Parts: sequence; C-alpha cells; structure tokens
Amino acid sequence: MSDLLSNIALGFSVAASAQGLFYCFLGVFLGTVVGVLPGIGIMATMAMLMPITFHIDPTFGLIMLAGIYYGADFGGSTAAILMNLPGTATSAVTGIEGYPMAQKGRAGPALFMKAIASFVGTAFGVVLLAGFSVPLSRVALNFGPQEYVALMALGLVAASVIGTGRSIRSLASVSLGLAIGLIGLDLNSGIARFTFGQTVFYDGLPLVAVAIGLFGLPEIISNAGRPDLPKVQEGKIRMKDMAPTREDWRRSYMPMARGSAIGGFFGALPGTGGLVATFVSYAVERRVSKHPEEFGKGAIEGVAAPEAANNASVQSAFIPTLSLGIPGDPVMAIMLGVMMIHGILPGPDVIQSKPDLFWGLVVSFIIGNVMLLILNLPLIGMWVRLLKIPYNLLFPVIVAFTCIGIYSVHYQVWDIYVLLAFGFLGVGMKALNFEVAPLLLGFVLGPTIEIYFRRTLAVSGGDLGTFFNRPIATTIIVIVFAILAWAVGRAAWAGLAGRRARETQDA
Amino acid sequence: MRYAIERLEDFIAGIVTAAIGGFIVIEASGYGAGSLNDMGPGFFPVMIGSFMMILALVMVVTARPSAAPQPVDKNQMRGILCLTAAFIAFAFTVEAFGMLLSVFLAVFLSALGNRKTPVLYAALLAVGTAVIATLIFRVGLGLQIKAF
Repeated sequence: MSDLLSNIALGFSVAASAQGLFYCFLGVFLGTVVGVLPGIGIMATMAMLMPITFHIDPTFGLIMLAGIYYGADFGGSTAAILMNLPGTATSAVTGIEGYPMAQKGRAGPALFMKAIASFVGTAFGVVLLAGFSVPLSRVALNFGPQEYVALMALGLVAASVIGTGRSIRSLASVSLGLAIGLIGLDLNSGIARFTFGQTVFYDGLPLVAVAIGLFGLPEIISNAGRPDLPKVQEGKIRMKDMAPTREDWRRSYMPMARGSAIGGFFGALPGTGGLVATFVSYAVERRVSKHPEEFGKGAIEGVAAPEAANNASVQSAFIPTLSLGIPGDPVMAIMLGVMMIHGILPGPDVIQSKPDLFWGLVVSFIIGNVMLLILNLPLIGMWVRLLKIPYNLLFPVIVAFTCIGIYSVHYQVWDIYVLLAFGFLGVGMKALNFEVAPLLLGFVLGPTIEIYFRRTLAVSGGDLGTFFNRPIATTIIVIVFAILAWAVGRAAWAGLAGRRARETQDA
Repeated sequence: MRYAIERLEDFIAGIVTAAIGGFIVIEASGYGAGSLNDMGPGFFPVMIGSFMMILALVMVVTARPSAAPQPVDKNQMRGILCLTAAFIAFAFTVEAFGMLLSVFLAVFLSALGNRKTPVLYAALLAVGTAVIATLIFRVGLGLQIKAF
C-alpha cells in the first residue's frame, strides 16, 4: 500500500511538473482538435507531432501522444453528438443516441453526460492499469518464449476475429502483416528476406510510415477530391443548458458502470480495443434497458455506456502494452515505436526500470482528463466554431505536416514512398473490405513472434508439445482455439441462416 | 456466370490473397526451411504464405453475394492523382531544395486535388503553410532540414 502511494507520488512529481502539464495539455488540446474535425485521424496527428517527441524526454513524449489518443476520442464524440459526424471510429456509436438527443434540443445534457461518463470510464481504467500492470509484469518476468508466442497468437487472433470485419479476411490481413514484418535481414542467418536486392529494405520497413500510411492516408486520399464536403450548421450550446435532469442521472449510473467494466475488459485484451468495447456496451444497454423502444431516438444510456466503455478501454489498453510490451491496437504500436526510438525496449521490466515513465503516464491520464472536462464543458463554443474550417483548405496542410513528420523520423526520403505505398494498400484493402488494424498488429509482432517461435522449438528440440506442458501457455492456447472455434461456428451459423433466407426468397 | 458476378467481391478478395500467399511461398522457399528444432529463415514465411492460400480457398468456397464494388468517380480520381503528386514532389525536393519549396509544392499540389479550391487560394495556402512550417520545424524545433 505504501508502495502504491509512493509510486503515485512519483507519478505526480513527473506529470504535475511544468513540462508534464504542458505536454499533457498540448496532447489533449490537439487531440480534441483532431477529434472534432472529421477527416484527420489520430494517426495523422501523431505523425505530425513525431518531430516533437524526439526532442523531449520520452516520458513527456508518451504523455503527449497518450493525450492525443484520449483527447481525440473526447472531441470525436462532441462532433458525433452535435453533427452526427464522428471524428473517430469509436465515437460513431455515441452519435447513434447523441445526435437524436441534439436534434431534440438536448445536445447540452448529452455533451455533459458524455463528459462525465468519459471521466468515470477513465478513472476505472486507470485503477485497473495501476492495479494490474505491476503484478502482471512480475508474472511476465517468468514467461518463457512459449508464453510470449501464445500471448501474441492470442492478440493476433483476437484482433482478427473479435473485430468488426469478416474473420477470414482479417486473418489474411494478419498474415500479410506478419510477412511484411519479416522484410529485411534475418537476424539468425543473415539472409535478406523479401528485399529483392534493395539495401533500403535491409532494416525492414519503418513502423511509423507504415502505420500512418495505413491509417492516416486512406481517409485523406478518398476524401480529398470530394466536392460535396460535409457542411456544418450553426450550433448554439450554452453552459447553463447543459445540466442533465435528475432523470438523466438516474438512467446513467448503471450504464456507466457496465460500460466501464466492458471497456476495461476489451481494452486489456491484446488485439481488441475501443471499437469493440463501444459496440458491445451499446448492444448490452439496448438489451438490458427497460425502455428499448427509446433506443435510436435519443436514449441517454446509449451515450453514457459507450463513452465510459471507450475511455476505460483506452486506459486499460496500456496494460498489455506497458507490462508485456505487446501492443493491443495501432496507437499502442506507435507508442511502443516512440519508446524504441528513445532506446527503451518494451517489455515486462520497463515498469521496474523506468517507474517514473510508467507512473508519470498513469497520473497524467487523470490530469489530462480533468483538462478535457475544462476544455469541453465551458469552452464548448470554441469547438463548434472550429468545425467551420472547410476541409478542402485543411487537408493540404495535413499532407505537408505528415510529410515533414515522417521524413524527420529517419531523415530518409524513402520513408515518404513507404508512406504513400501503404496509403494505397490501405485504400485497396478498404475497397475490398479488409481490415487494416490486424495487418499493422501482424507487422509489429511478426519479427518478435518468429524469434520466440524459433527459440521455443530450438529449446524443446522441435517438440510442439512444449506449448502444452506449461500451465499459462496452455491456458492461453486453449483460449485462442476457443476463439477460433467460436468464429467458425458463428460463420457457419450465419451462412446457414443466409441460405435459408435466400431459399425462402426464391420460393 | 451470375453466380460469379454476384460474388465478385469475395472472389477478388480470394484471388488477391491467394496470389500474395503464393508469392510469399515461392519467394521464401529459396531461403532454406530447416527443421522444426532448427528453423531456417524460410520456415516461418512459408508457413504464413501457405496459411494465406488456405484462407483464400475458404474465401472462394464460402463466397456470398454482395453489392458490387463501387467504381472511383472523376472527382476522387483527381484527388488521388494530386495527392500522389504532392507526396512525390515533397520527396523529390526536400533534400535538394529544402523545406520552403517542398512544403509549398506538397500543399499546392494536394490543394488542387479538390476542384472547389481556386488556384489562387491554393497558392496562398501553400505559401503560408511553407513559411509557418519552416518557422515551427526549422527555427523552433531545430529539425535537420534546411529551409532552402
């Protein structure tokens, strides 16, 4: 207990320092900006801010990047409620109930409840993070290669199967990502793989350029030429209209609690994340509600629960990232990338060896969310005005800043071409309904999982049974197969139902 | 024939996946597979490539009818071409001519991608962004990119 207190004190000394506060504010402020504006993703913003992170202590760099992450979710749901234009994927769910509330003139209470729910979710997530990361990292210190292979397989399979896309295609995405991750010199044999004789390929592809290309560019590429850009109508929201009624409060307590729990669970599972958590929590509320007929027409439960879930998942996503070094989503992959650029090897000993980084980050989440409350409740009018910047003047600036950001990582022109190539890959995959998130996870984990897989079998003398001799590894492998079996069952069921529907149609 | 056209999306997805998987297997089989207790550099990629080919087969076999993929319209094509030009222009000029020119070109070319943006606006936006970006990144943050 006194341990925890002294750790939190350490965290405060980092996060509440002048620099800590400044970068935290910068992060949540810019995060809200990009969240409110549709068409700039979190990833593009991270790319634009990359140059800053090289010049400051990695702890402050991570505090800033994390601020962008949860700030963008906050801003995204503001835009979703006011205009039904979700700035981020996860805030789309908030718009389902938030926008109808706004149309009925209840935008104020929706925004207010969203802010409270976000804060509750964050607080819950932070408690999970502070409580579970240290014990988990201690357990993880005893992990052999078997456990790491099993955990990474769990992350990759969960990312493909539990996500929103079709499982088979997501598994193909993961595989492609794994293969792309292998590009470069093989460390064991020194053989160059998939390099086609080009020396620029020898070090592998640059993570940041790949990630931004896949996630940031497709949005810009496919919207740049559209003449019918979304228009924004005048909104009048004043602070005094924002107070929710007693009825609103009464209906929101339980959804917030359930949302937090759902978000905390899915966030911590490597490979899933906010998007799944928000959808699941919305579906749960709809099912347990006493008045399901109000859903879709502005039920406040549908704002409170997904927001709590989303923010809880953002925080708990840091659990596997920081305690195991296994990123759960693309943003976490970028965070790990920044750590590696600063020479910090992600893994279970980071919490022990860099307690100021870990606890500083944890405390900054609380500070950042208080900042978000202030930024988003009294200053809401500012964001509404920001929405009026026309997109056709905005995206060229983003393109230029992204170029600078990517170039500044290694000062290699080559990285820009990688960025562009993966932008097109992202567009192509979207056109064929392939998810891009699994590809990136595969890309990040590819080299590591191969190394551990080789090591496992070298130690066991080629015996695959070694995965089933160790309790933790065996448990995880069983879970992996259970998820796969569930996916196959679900697909078979859907196929049968579809065929039956068609047969009745034809008859 | 109607069967194939209705399921075009699944078929294309399967064929693309199979092609990539096949390519990985062919390319990696030259690296040396080794054995289970002493894996060569080719083992893991061949495993991945084969898995992709199996997935591709499943995609084609379980193909379900879906809406036809949407073609790209003229406006979107213009956006795509201009953005590509913008990135390539930046990459070509940043080391030789410095940040002012490369940022100008990146902003100007990508702004032209939307037909609603007048050329004059695009130019003004490009000049403004180039100056501000140079001030922030070169002067403020001290990035190792020359101004001109």
